[in-house]
Amino acid sequence: MVRKVSPLALGLLVFFISFQMLNEEPAEEPRVLSTSETTRTQGVEVKESLVSDQLEKATIEQNYTPAVKASSEQSGITPDRIQIPSINVDASIKALGYTPEGGMAVPKNLIDVGWFEPGTMPGNQGNAVIAGHVDGNSGPAVFYDLKDLQPGDEIYVYGDNMKLTFEISRMESYPYEDAPIREIFGPTNSHSLNLITCTGAYDKEASTYSERLAVFSVLKDQQKL
Amino acid sequence: MKKLFSSLAAVVLILGIFAPSVLADSHDQNAMVRVLHASPDAPAVDVYLNDEAVVEGAEFKAATDYLEVPAGEHTVEIYAAGTKGEQDPVISTTVNVEAGMAYTAAAIDNLENIQLKAIQDSTEATEGMAKVRVGHFIPGAPAVDVGPIGGDALFSGAEFPMVTDYLEVDPGSYDLEVRTTDGTQLIDLSGTNLEAGKVYSAFAVGTADNPEVLLLQDSAAMPTMMPATGFGGTADSTTNAWMYAALLGVLAMGAGFMLTRKRSEA
Repeated sequence: MVRKVSPLALGLLVFFISFQMLNEEPAEEPRVLSTSETTRTQGVEVKESLVSDQLEKATIEQNYTPAVKASSEQSGITPDRIQIPSINVDASIKALGYTPEGGMAVPKNLIDVGWFEPGTMPGNQGNAVIAGHVDGNSGPAVFYDLKDLQPGDEIYVYGDNMKLTFEISRMESYPYEDAPIREIFGPTNSHSLNLITCTGAYDKEASTYSERLAVFSVLKDQQKL
Repeated sequence: MKKLFSSLAAVVLILGIFAPSVLADSHDQNAMVRVLHASPDAPAVDVYLNDEAVVEGAEFKAATDYLEVPAGEHTVEIYAAGTKGEQDPVISTTVNVEAGMAYTAAAIDNLENIQLKAIQDSTEATEGMAKVRVGHFIPGAPAVDVGPIGGDALFSGAEFPMVTDYLEVDPGSYDLEVRTTDGTQLIDLSGTNLEAGKVYSAFAVGTADNPEVLLLQDSAAMPTMMPATGFGGTADSTTNAWMYAALLGVLAMGAGFMLTRKRSEA
């Protein structure tokens, strides 16, 4: 009996040890062994050029938003929880700021998401931004299924005894180095919430994914809890 | 904070005369332009940029978000909604925009004297502070001050159609008013919420009898790059690790079997 089990055990042991070693990231967290392509961008249209998109179309009504008045209701909250029922996301929100390089900081763990606190409060006029990891070193993270969202899906954000409902308007993938930061984080007349996670192929050289998925949503409803 | 900005100090850039460009990010080949309808008696309008409709049916007090346009000279034509091809444009002009810069193109004054005013907007937010400026786009209204109700003016003597410089203020909720320079309140702006890291333009529009303020966001605190939101653990590389590990495991298993068989034979 022992004779038959021990080679099996040895094989399994070697498998697990070698898997751990192969899959382990040296020194810094976001590293992995290969740069091979994934199919994660399926269903997400890559926007080629913002300019031609806006100028070539006969009308761009989606860019037209009525202005708001100074006294317009601001319903911004300090968010502490996000729920996205259609992909079973229910996560805690951490208020985060900048990385030392001036980028957007993200949570250190894989289960929380990060709100860009120097920017807009969810519910206020402007672009509020929440980012979450798509995966960790060896498995999916909180925003792994973000790619499966559809325009029209709802996002709930809780905080300050309020529940805000946002409706997804569109989704775009952008190259990591060439994302329209101002469109995602910058000024707008609408009360928007944008979610970010990684997508595309993993770039070993840059220790990051080659693209970012942005989910754009707009405030639809607010409720006192 | 208490510094007064006279209308003479206002930065109002005339069409085609713009400050040198400062390239900020990778979208710097483009300029950003938003359109504001601030002509109180003008009809809803369609705005054409180089003969392409960029805004349709914009009514008085409507403002677009920023649109990215290539740097350079553009023809701007504004028609009463749906009248292109039938009537002459109410405004036809050219604007010159620089890469990396943001502009507000505002249709101002009464229909009779309607004109397009191009203003350069700040793209730089100040960390922890709010930035705000005031534009006076109410034809026929006197010069105005803007400040806390009954308090010292933050902006004083703004005349039609001037736009003041930006002023940095502490973030928070302000009970502001727009008043004539002799102190008569024109617009009550109680509860105006100015957020840290935001840049605002408060444009007074309408008529002297029915004035209003549009508070637009010109910029916001932004990171310099997108977040790093993945470690690659679900990329295909993981599959490779699995395969290699499984291969090694099978080899070890085989070796183990051979060893044990040899031992049992012995």
